[in-house]
Amino acid sequence: MSIAIETKSLSRVYQSYRKPEGVWNSVKGLWNRQHIEKIALKPTTLSIESGQIVGLVGANGAGKTTLLKMLSGLIVPSSGEARVLGYKPWERKHEFLRRISILLGQKNQLWWDLAPYDSFSLLARIYDLDLDKARARVNELAQRLRCTHVLETQLRRLSLGERMKMEIIGALLHEPAVLFLDEPTIGLDMIAQESIRDFLADYVRSRGPTVILTSHYMDDIAQLAHKLLLISKGAIVYEGTVENFTRATEDVRTLSFRFSEELPLDVVLPEGHVLRGGRKEHQLKILPQHLGILMPEIARAGTLQDLKMEETDFEDVIRGFLEKESRIL
Amino acid sequence: MLSKYFKLYTAFFRASLTADLEYRANFATRIITDIFWYLAQIIAFEVLYRHTEKIGSWNVEQTRVFLGVLFVVDALYMIFISENLDRFSEKIRKGELDLLLAKPVNSQFMVSLQRANTAIIGNLLMGTSWLVWSLVHLPDFSWVRLLWLSFLIPCGLVVTYSCRFFFSAMAVIFTKSENLQFMWYQIYKLGMRPDSIYVPWIRIVLMTVFPVAMVASVPARSLVEEPQPALFVWSLVVSGILLYLSNRFWRLCLKFYSSASS
Amino acid sequence: MAIAANVEYRVNYFIDAVAQPTVTAVIEILLWVGIFRTAGHATIGGFGLQDYLAYVLWGAFFARIAASWMYEFRMIEEIDSGSVNGLLVRPMSFYEYYLSQLLGYKFITTAVSFLIPLGVGAALGWNIHYDRLPTAVLLVFFYLILVHSISFVVATCAFFLNRIYALTVAKNLALWTLTGELIPLDLMPEPFRGWLLILPFPSGVFVPVGYLTGRVGLETVNQGFLSVAVSLILVNALGLVMWKRGLRSYSGTGA
Repeated sequence: MSIAIETKSLSRVYQSYRKPEGVWNSVKGLWNRQHIEKIALKPTTLSIESGQIVGLVGANGAGKTTLLKMLSGLIVPSSGEARVLGYKPWERKHEFLRRISILLGQKNQLWWDLAPYDSFSLLARIYDLDLDKARARVNELAQRLRCTHVLETQLRRLSLGERMKMEIIGALLHEPAVLFLDEPTIGLDMIAQESIRDFLADYVRSRGPTVILTSHYMDDIAQLAHKLLLISKGAIVYEGTVENFTRATEDVRTLSFRFSEELPLDVVLPEGHVLRGGRKEHQLKILPQHLGILMPEIARAGTLQDLKMEETDFEDVIRGFLEKESRIL
Repeated sequence: MLSKYFKLYTAFFRASLTADLEYRANFATRIITDIFWYLAQIIAFEVLYRHTEKIGSWNVEQTRVFLGVLFVVDALYMIFISENLDRFSEKIRKGELDLLLAKPVNSQFMVSLQRANTAIIGNLLMGTSWLVWSLVHLPDFSWVRLLWLSFLIPCGLVVTYSCRFFFSAMAVIFTKSENLQFMWYQIYKLGMRPDSIYVPWIRIVLMTVFPVAMVASVPARSLVEEPQPALFVWSLVVSGILLYLSNRFWRLCLKFYSSASS
Repeated sequence: MAIAANVEYRVNYFIDAVAQPTVTAVIEILLWVGIFRTAGHATIGGFGLQDYLAYVLWGAFFARIAASWMYEFRMIEEIDSGSVNGLLVRPMSFYEYYLSQLLGYKFITTAVSFLIPLGVGAALGWNIHYDRLPTAVLLVFFYLILVHSISFVVATCAFFLNRIYALTVAKNLALWTLTGELIPLDLMPEPFRGWLLILPFPSGVFVPVGYLTGRVGLETVNQGFLSVAVSLILVNALGLVMWKRGLRSYSGTGA
């Protein structure tokens, strides 16, 4: 197994200035600027084998798009090194660009007023592909994505899901060795998401490109990724398989509820949860399977006025995971 | 290499035509709106010439030729280039520049030439008709002189492109660049008049720093006056320098882009 | 309200109200200096260089007042976006709302931007009849109401047609010549000059600026007021008809 992507202490820091408030400070700001450093990515060392699908997961602003853009050559790192297929990405050599592909969710590279077929011909020329072979490839991919019927319809007339499928075909036309997918299923309905995931899983199995996939939907990753990179506040906090991670965090939900009166004392619940006294409103992070045991105890602790259960915010999942890790240690 | 880009460009042009034909009405609309602009330019000079023999160093027949050249170069610019540069800051705002930079083709080429505005063909026809008509009515004109245009018009286009490109590319650095576009258009307006009307030091500026004189004045000179080879060579030199500078500036902007965006 | 909202957008405003007409005027001044340099005689059409410089300087600023792109676009947008109930509830006030916005905006623009031609004219000692300025401003504001009515009619076309922005562009390009912004209308050869002066459009630039710089007399100004008044009646009648028809067709198709 060869290494397709490797980085060594790759990092990205942004310099900016604190914006002064008020006129006097603005004037002072002309010669005395307060620098702020924003660390988008802390020094990161990774190694990704070819043929793997790597899921890069994190909340918004965590640094996943920064990492992706550095690996695809769109952003220059502040320090550190990286090599993708043996090239330095930000040199943007044409030979390198010919072998990679980047798909930025919800951004179109295909022409709005053209039928996808025509856009694909343009792409074929850009990548110096044989036109007949390219056409055959388009048909093959479209069949697998079940969207052959819209190949000749102008892009602007297609639904969001169909457009995304066309963008995917466009991204795969030149058979890239490395594929960067940034939020490919964002904004799509469940059915479209499913069909795209199925296609990607199938495609990677048969063609074997290396794929880096970012998302903040756990489902994308769970179904597709061999390896999971969890990124939080610019740092990789977990690197391992998806199974291990889900085993560690399980499917945590946030249960919020309110009693009609404050609890006089702390109430201890099963599975290590505690309701703090002196409060009406409470919030617990629970596993759905424990709901059966917990609910009767909660109902017994006071008169419930309001109850809500939500998917946990990503940062909370990560925090929960990190807490558990430190607890184990 | 050059043939690859030539073939690629023809493909882009054909695709633009296909896309533009979706909106057939545009072909007529552009003619109907722009005809007022052409008329205004023509009327302004025709009326002035009723009160004076010469404006700048030219009489009315010569100035008509000047206007014809201006209309043709302007139409060509609008067909090949304007669509791309006008939409450039929007592209950046929408984050579409990234997709372009990831392609194994020259990014300046893609940014500047990808989309042609074929609906302007009507304007080109109008402009060419006026040019031909004014040449027919030009005394002492020899049609051989048109050969000069074969490189002077491309020079005019390159100058317009490069200057406009400088202003457009700044959208990479300054996100709100409407004011820059405004400044560019004012400078371009100076080139829409025969350069001989301006005081000498302005003429020098218009031949060097902001060489908009190359757009229409110089090519028109080749038709209405005795040929001035030195001037024409200068036109070539200036366009070459500007094109080179535009490329360096673009590389600078890209460096900025890849270190400042997130 | 219009005044307060507009002063917020200071920089864009500065460009729109001051920088643009100044730069336009400078370019025109260069043209006229050049024309006179090579003309070989001291006057063109009976007026000297200074008269033309004064004309183009004041002309650029009056033209700014007499143009209405922004509010026309906003009216078109609102009709295009198709909130029928919103429109039905406000028949006359749609027109009045945008008119008050327009007048407020142009009022501020006048107050601010006219300082420039005033200053320059005073500094260079030009022969301007400053006592005539109030009448000139009054005329151009009266003309502005007509401009708004025309914009209103153009906007009502949005009920029936798509993409009428082209209509706005064509209209404004035509007005560029018809108002006298392009060149002073008294330079036009005879049959055209007569026809143009009957139309209300010269009251936007040529008549007020001509009056200010001594090119035209009071009779022309009065004729301008009359012409604009008659046009206002006609255009507003047309606007009312189009508005009613438009609303009917809108609710008919069920936007």
